[in-house]
Amino acid sequence: MAVPALNLPRHGAGGVDPPKLVVAALLLLVIVAGFFVSERFGTFRNFMNVLEQSAALGFVSLGLTLVVLVGGIDLSIGAVVTGAAVLLAGTVGANEALMVPMLVGVLAAGAAFGALNGLVSIRTGVDPLVVTIGSAALLTGFVLLYTLRPTGAVPIWFEAFAYGRLFGVPVAGLVMLLSFLAVGLFLHYTPLGRAVYAVGGSAEAARLAGIRVDRTIIAVFAASGFFASLAGLYFASRTGIGDPRVGDPMTLAAITPVVVGGTVLGGGRGGVVGTLLGVLLISFLNNILNYMNVSTFLQWVIQGSIIILAVSLYVKRSNRL
Amino acid sequence: MSARSAVLPSGSDVRSFAARFALPATLAGLVLLATALQPAFLSVQNLQDILTQAAPLGIVVLGQTFVILVRGLDLSVASLMATVAVIATAFDATSDAAIPVIFLVCIAFGALVGLANGLLVTKRNVSPFLATLAMMIVLQGLRFYYTQGAPAGSLPAGFRYLGTGQFLGIPVNIIAFAILFAGLAFLLHRSPVGRRIYIVGGNPFAAELVGIRSDRITILCYVVCSAMAAVGGLFLVGFVGTVDIWVGRGYELDSIVAAVIGGVALSGGRGTLAGAVTGAMILVVLFNIVIILGLPVQAQLVIKGIVIVAAAALIVRRNGAGRQH
Repeated sequence: MAVPALNLPRHGAGGVDPPKLVVAALLLLVIVAGFFVSERFGTFRNFMNVLEQSAALGFVSLGLTLVVLVGGIDLSIGAVVTGAAVLLAGTVGANEALMVPMLVGVLAAGAAFGALNGLVSIRTGVDPLVVTIGSAALLTGFVLLYTLRPTGAVPIWFEAFAYGRLFGVPVAGLVMLLSFLAVGLFLHYTPLGRAVYAVGGSAEAARLAGIRVDRTIIAVFAASGFFASLAGLYFASRTGIGDPRVGDPMTLAAITPVVVGGTVLGGGRGGVVGTLLGVLLISFLNNILNYMNVSTFLQWVIQGSIIILAVSLYVKRSNRL
Repeated sequence: MSARSAVLPSGSDVRSFAARFALPATLAGLVLLATALQPAFLSVQNLQDILTQAAPLGIVVLGQTFVILVRGLDLSVASLMATVAVIATAFDATSDAAIPVIFLVCIAFGALVGLANGLLVTKRNVSPFLATLAMMIVLQGLRFYYTQGAPAGSLPAGFRYLGTGQFLGIPVNIIAFAILFAGLAFLLHRSPVGRRIYIVGGNPFAAELVGIRSDRITILCYVVCSAMAAVGGLFLVGFVGTVDIWVGRGYELDSIVAAVIGGVALSGGRGTLAGAVTGAMILVVLFNIVIILGLPVQAQLVIKGIVIVAAAALIVRRNGAGRQH
């Protein structure tokens, strides 16, 4: 199932990739500005803190990137993040023996939930936007029926995931970077990875080329569910409890790094490097805005403006609708 | 997404008959079910209560339908509702004479937001999802920055009447909804502008070829949507009675879902205002059934989730198309 033609860089051989360049330049600008804003900004410690805090955003936007690459969208991410955190803390509680099986179980459940999103969308022909709004409502409903306030507990050693350091580098940040590396390699060097671009470019052409479109779509939604539940585990590790609201902001937060990183809603163009740069851009920006004592409220305005700015810069005239 | 090939033989009378009456039949079935569960459901008092509660959502759905018809969607409506609520209280007016002024200012503000959304979508080619998402975040930031999280000021007492009062036994906000519905239905289904909206939504390239300025039509739809969200927000404030910084939260998704359940296709160009409003009614009656059954409110979410996917699946099979983003 070779698809060599679809493997070419979208911006022409040897050409530059404007979105990645723009977001890299912005990131550089933010980091340089950071040195002027505060003396504490330029320390190893602060950079590692930013990396640690960017982990959850990194996980969810990595999964979303794959879904957007095939032309879909996943609005159930926040619900899955919450579901994973509550499921883990709620079932494990004081029973430490359950911890390891449940870690595996929660990640598998997240992937299965995502796969179901993909499957339902394919079988019914309903837009993933609507399917995932529906499945998110369903899952959130069950979580809130189970508990209305933070519940359960996780063993204290599990803190190491969110707070641990390996040679001074945060474990969560490391896991995030490795995830990006793994998915990036997967996208470029495996048939299924290349199929993701092919399906996003044109599902019909991909089907004619012998690619199993349905399987590809289900796989990316499963990946999105998997990474969302990984983010849920991160929050459970960070707070030591299953909070039924913890994932609420993540659905929309996941979208910003993806689109700012140049992955186009509608599919076929973009990739995980841009998303990683987008995650770092948002994280460093929030970091220096905090040093500048800019209120969270204005940070929202800035974030919204960045979306508009980035997207309207990238959009090609020929690419209407 | 790979929509399964459509099961749609056109021209089958039975099928089109079923299609036309499927929605009202579903609504009627749910009303019967609710009445069977709780005879008081069909009482005048309860129906008035339900409709009064549903009117703000209905007003927002009217606007959302316009945007979806031209292949868009508007995620900023809820944020705009809360923002106009803050603007309304910023007047700190006590006299009812200020109400028309407040409405005008808020509708004008809404129209500006819609204009910005429409310009981003048409002139800058930003996808509707992102343009309105960014607008939602920006409005939210401005609103919180202005109020610092706690809105101050007061509204004229007349707002409460608009939101909960009755005129000749009919809830005032239902009268307002009916007037808006009639006006917009005329615009959409009986005027040249409405026909152009369907043509642009059905095929924007063909629309340009026959001389329709599709950008203008699209922008108009965004303006209508945001203006309706502004009106809906003001009526919701009147209904709730207090200005909360999150007034209308969830209405963006609920309004999209109502329209989709009501047969308005996200792929554009298909669906009617009456269908969208029926979709909203179906949602509202379902929520009421949850309450009648004495289920916890969270169960509404579960039911909503199932209904969204099931209804959308049925409708897509009938209309024969999903949507490419």
